[in-house]
Amino acid sequence: MSESSMTRRDFLRTTAAAAVVGTAGMSLLAQPDAQKKAKVVLIRHQHVVDNEGKLNPKILEEMFDESMATFFGTKNAGDAWKKIVKPGDVVGIKTNVWRYLRTPLELEQTMKTRIMAVGVQEKDISIDDRGILSNPVFARATALINVRPMRAHNWSGVGGCLKNYIMFTPSPPDYHPDSCIDLGALWKLPAVEGKTRLNILLMLTPQFHCLGPHHFDKQFTWAYNGIIVGTDPVAVDAVGLKIIEAQRKLYFKEESPMRPPVRHIKAAEEKHGIGIANLAAIEIVRLGWKEDSLI
Amino acid sequence: MPPLLLLLTFAMTPSDTLSQSAMQKLLPTSIHSWKASEPARFYSGREVFRYMDGAGEVYLAYGFNRLLVQRYARPNQEEILVEIFDMGRPRSAFGAYTNMQGRGPAVAIGQAAEYKSGLLSFWRGRFFVCVMIDNENEEATKAVLDLGSRISESIGEDGPTPSLLHVLPQELFEPQTLRYFFRHEILNIHFYVADKNIFRLNESTDAVLVRLKSDKSHLLLIQYPSLEEAAAAYADFTKSYMPEAQAKGWIQTENKKWTGCSVHRKYVLAVFDAPALIDAQNLLTTLQRILP
Repeated sequence: MSESSMTRRDFLRTTAAAAVVGTAGMSLLAQPDAQKKAKVVLIRHQHVVDNEGKLNPKILEEMFDESMATFFGTKNAGDAWKKIVKPGDVVGIKTNVWRYLRTPLELEQTMKTRIMAVGVQEKDISIDDRGILSNPVFARATALINVRPMRAHNWSGVGGCLKNYIMFTPSPPDYHPDSCIDLGALWKLPAVEGKTRLNILLMLTPQFHCLGPHHFDKQFTWAYNGIIVGTDPVAVDAVGLKIIEAQRKLYFKEESPMRPPVRHIKAAEEKHGIGIANLAAIEIVRLGWKEDSLI
Repeated sequence: MPPLLLLLTFAMTPSDTLSQSAMQKLLPTSIHSWKASEPARFYSGREVFRYMDGAGEVYLAYGFNRLLVQRYARPNQEEILVEIFDMGRPRSAFGAYTNMQGRGPAVAIGQAAEYKSGLLSFWRGRFFVCVMIDNENEEATKAVLDLGSRISESIGEDGPTPSLLHVLPQELFEPQTLRYFFRHEILNIHFYVADKNIFRLNESTDAVLVRLKSDKSHLLLIQYPSLEEAAAAYADFTKSYMPEAQAKGWIQTENKKWTGCSVHRKYVLAVFDAPALIDAQNLLTTLQRILP
């Protein structure tokens, strides 16, 4: 074999280095002048999902509004939306409808309502997942909103905001090699590039482990009760990944990296240059419930 | 076309694939008042991506031929979804089953089966089958299990399990951790080794990955078609993964645990993440004694 290979030991070296510099890294994060290249808002509410797994839509709406106002530094959510959508825009909301863990319909409708309040006509807004390539609104979209739940995935390691755009290509298998390492390239497609105004990674009941293509088991989800909001899809996914990796360590009582390891988030920064994956360079604005935040 | 898919395309022959009508006959038209609610859908080869995205790669890596999807409905009850994968060969069906095993309790359907949280998965002969509901209730769960039994009866014949399994002492490992495969993509799902295929896994190899009861380390056993191929794979792995080990065959990796590898005739054995060197060395020595 002439080409050098990326091995498990390369990942172990990274983990070992992180453990050694962990304290120093924390100090760096705490410094007010530490250079931050990306920002996300992480908001949590203890009661957005109850003990039986039932969603409280009103709390979810309030959380989402608060996260928007905070992220964009506005008085309220309405003003935040005005910063990213204009009355003449055509808006595609790329959701995710996986049968076991879909984007809540209530949140989709909240977003639609907020966008209409800015002045966008209803006929110029569409919410879609698997049909976006044949959706006429998406075909003429000037703005995209990207929203989905975070979950473990049997081929890419995790499915987050970056992977949610795989439906924009007519040939998804082209992005499958090497654990979907090149998902970041999707963001350079003509239908996508420069259009995404907002990324929302739902961490309400994330799935942190799976065994096989179909696998969903409530045993491998937990009520994290959070939402991560940002304009950088890489930063949003990087923060979400850190949280579910921490949950895996708690659950399995040992270091338990995602299976397969997640490679596409780092590559989205280093190879495709579409955002920031390095947690030390991401400002995490925390709102709401702090207990067991895992990050 | 990626190399894996190209290889699989050429590897498939019509005789490996059951016809659509023959697959349809594996299913009853109704079960406990659930009735087939729409025509069955079929997906061959890369068409699987029309039904599932990246997850389809798992089945292709096992040599998947054709998928049948059938939905059953009953008023005011859960929809039952059936997927029958014609994997072409029993070893592929067994492998696809082991890729998912460890989810839940075993049930007596097919050659091995598990049921948990509304999902029944089993294998028999050249078929890997999933029968599922979104939300469990007593009646729907019974229908899922009975439907699985009916499909298993229709398949009729068992298939052989890979012979490699018979050389591995069953008492050594946690049975639900066993994964059988012959592509490095599947190895990497369960235990990431390297982005490149440094064990030279391919259609003519057999590989088993297990987690040991004693110290939770991972044992990989691979059988190659020839002595030369085993030796070449051993050389590739040691050069790429543990070059500083040289002839010793052992190395303490960055997580302070031990990785070792040896070659014995047509077999390559590797232990990953062993807490104690001596235990791992003893394991490989023992296995080398009992391997054919």
